[in-house]
Amino acid sequence: MKFKDYYETLGIERGASEEEIKKAYRRLARQYHPDISKEAGAEERFKQISEAYQTLFDPEKRQAYDELGRHDPGEDFQPPPDWDTRFWQGQAHQEVDLSELFEQMGFRASQQRRQARGMDFPIRGQDVEAVARLTLEEVSRGTQVTLERPGGSVRIRVPMGVTDGERLRIPGRGGPGSGGGPDGDVYVQIQVLPHKLFRPVGHDLYLELPVTPWEAALGAQIELPSLDGRVRVTVKPGAQAGQKLRLAGKGLPKRGEGAGDLYGVLQIVMPTEISEREQELYRELAKASSFQPRPQYTGESTDG
Amino acid sequence: MADDLLIPVDSDSLVESAELLAASGLAHDELVELVEFGLFEIRETATGWCFQSRAVHQARRMVKLRDSFGLNPPGMALALTYLEKIEALEHRLRELECLLPR
Repeated sequence: MKFKDYYETLGIERGASEEEIKKAYRRLARQYHPDISKEAGAEERFKQISEAYQTLFDPEKRQAYDELGRHDPGEDFQPPPDWDTRFWQGQAHQEVDLSELFEQMGFRASQQRRQARGMDFPIRGQDVEAVARLTLEEVSRGTQVTLERPGGSVRIRVPMGVTDGERLRIPGRGGPGSGGGPDGDVYVQIQVLPHKLFRPVGHDLYLELPVTPWEAALGAQIELPSLDGRVRVTVKPGAQAGQKLRLAGKGLPKRGEGAGDLYGVLQIVMPTEISEREQELYRELAKASSFQPRPQYTGESTDG
Repeated sequence: MADDLLIPVDSDSLVESAELLAASGLAHDELVELVEFGLFEIRETATGWCFQSRAVHQARRMVKLRDSFGLNPPGMALALTYLEKIEALEHRLRELECLLPR
């Protein structure tokens, strides 16, 4: 078994009081709770913190943990000879993760107490939670994902129309219940991977649409990529930077019917190198044009 | 079974109180208090309250916050309201970022 130092995880001394354990846990949970921290690795850290807390906050589990002695984190170790019979009725010395061991310990102990009192209490099975990272194309067509769970892998249908961050629920397909209790549920959170062209916002897609100054001035017909092939849009003469061209129904499909929109966001781009001839034409344009782009600056003093 | 395809529940489907409580770990009294806060939209049926299926995810989220921080129902309701508000703002921010060149 690999050792984990739960006290170190919570940043407390071995002799810490229940109150100190609780305080340390709350402080760290506030920092790493997945709903609060978007930091990379926060979720993993939160799991470790929760695991440490759940073991140390339960007096029975804490005693059992303390009797495992002190080891370096990650060190392979064996529990003391009589430890199994006193705390754990499972398979002795099997390769098992410390967290599973303590999780089942509480579960088994309470079950045994219940059984000793002649009650076979129904206990609901554990929920299984997973994250599915999908491409925009997979999300738009709908797909299937494989979920590894204790007892084998299962395939889950991801229906067309899910959006980033959405959670799917499959009732009754998680861990098995006991004592006549129902099985747990399966939860899958959808994460949409970044796409090189499209940026999804809900069911809408955004696409940068760079145009030359003369396309913006004179108008143009431009071909754009969309999720289902190329589409043509018309840029009207006098187009402005930041203007959104909306292609209705060309976004991500919605569940049921309909789809979001595709927006091409106009960007007027200048070449970095301007040739002699181009410069000449611009100078001519500057002479011919009476356009004043900064009318709001005129007639105001700046030293007021 | 590898060829058994699991199908998620439809997001339009409704969930009864008993299922919501079992799936989330909320206590009945907490649910009543949260409904009184107006946190969940409910539909009254012959068998009791019905909730939109997203209520399960909201309730689970609140239970995790309750267990981590020792929150009572007003605290749970407040935390969820703020989190959803932040998410709505993040959504709006993403929308606005899409209007800027990358």
